[in-house]
Amino acid sequence: MNCADVQQVLPEIIDGSSSGDSDAEYQAHLKLCPMCSELVSDLELIASEARQLSETDDPAPRVWVKIAAELRAEGIIRELEAAPGRPVLVPGVRRRWNAWWLVPVAAALVAAGSYVIKPKPAVPVASQNPPAAVINAEKVPAPSTVASAKPSKQIAPVRAVDETRQSAPADRAPMQVVGTADQQLLDGVPPELRSEYQSQLNAVNSYIRDAEAYLKQNPDDEDARQHLMEANQQREMLYRMALDHVQ
Amino acid sequence: MAAGKGDLTDPKPAKAIEAEAIERAKQGDEAAFETLYNLHKRRVYSLCLRMVSNPAQAEDLAQEAFLQLFRKIGTFRGESAFSTWLHRMTVNVVLMTLRRKGLPLVSLEETLETDEVTPRKELGAPDLKLTGSIDRLELKRAIEKLPPGYKTVFVLHDVEGFEHNEIAEMVGCSIGNSKSQLHKARLKLRDALKFMRAAKAENT
Repeated sequence: MNCADVQQVLPEIIDGSSSGDSDAEYQAHLKLCPMCSELVSDLELIASEARQLSETDDPAPRVWVKIAAELRAEGIIRELEAAPGRPVLVPGVRRRWNAWWLVPVAAALVAAGSYVIKPKPAVPVASQNPPAAVINAEKVPAPSTVASAKPSKQIAPVRAVDETRQSAPADRAPMQVVGTADQQLLDGVPPELRSEYQSQLNAVNSYIRDAEAYLKQNPDDEDARQHLMEANQQREMLYRMALDHVQ
Repeated sequence: MAAGKGDLTDPKPAKAIEAEAIERAKQGDEAAFETLYNLHKRRVYSLCLRMVSNPAQAEDLAQEAFLQLFRKIGTFRGESAFSTWLHRMTVNVVLMTLRRKGLPLVSLEETLETDEVTPRKELGAPDLKLTGSIDRLELKRAIEKLPPGYKTVFVLHDVEGFEHNEIAEMVGCSIGNSKSQLHKARLKLRDALKFMRAAKAENT
């Protein structure tokens, strides 16, 4: 076997997939030919070093952030569904357990609202900054109650939410989610922003109701309690933002 | 950090952590997904980076590979190793992207050029042997510069450890072709590494 013959068999032999006579002749040639011997050593070294490159690089942290966001958006991540009986098993409702999405929505509202320049309302401080613990999900009043709510520049204190809640009937109107205090608030915001605020209030109220119902059955679930608290904070933020638009 | 968040220093063996994370991920547990991601992110991203030689594109590909995997995690029954499943999926994502871009998965150069394969000693060139050591960074750079077809087979075989029959199936070539491409890739890398070493010697 000469150098040219070695080139022919090298691709097979170097991966150990050839044996027998050709292998013996090849080995004999390598002993006599330093150039072929060096070539084979180099190629083997390259192959072995290459194996060390399989786990050398870390992706940027943003890769996981994007993956997690996508999994949440697709409803594949379901943080609070492990325990049985949680009221979040209907697709589309699940995601409401992750209150994270309310923040960007609120940010979008801020951006949208910035186009409407309105003076700040003369609203009592107490009603602008209600304690998060006081603001709570409302039982939906009967349609007649909502219809009778009159637009008002002075928004009723958010504490009224609780009063509404106590006196509200147990049955809910099928499509109407906002309560009296919410309705008064919505009546005060510019018409072009009203539907967006209504939609966000509906979402956060619905989220809060689910969380409260779940916590009644699972009072020790700290995650659910945390989500409820965050949802109440989101609701408070929506109120503050809406009040900035009230004339 | 809790094991559920992907802490690899947890005393539990990695396989046990992985198995538990797979089951929890099937229930939609975010921490379990994160654990699986942390266990495999380096391997997946490194594979993508070697194949496309572009960090931003490699991130996109790694993201897509994990998303495809997580979307199908409910169907994982454990017949094959999870890592095998993931790496096969990653390769498919990368190859699909290369195909879409019109890049050849196998080099079109079918014949070996004589001067590439015959052991030679260039006149006037320094006698720089690779034997004994290769700078890892130089090897990465040399792989980056390989033509796409050679790079594919080299990365899949020598870096990722796939067999020629698996590579042939994945890229759609013959087993002989895969072997030939690999050999040519190694020869090109040897030349590139020697060139780098010579350039380095000249500068010092």
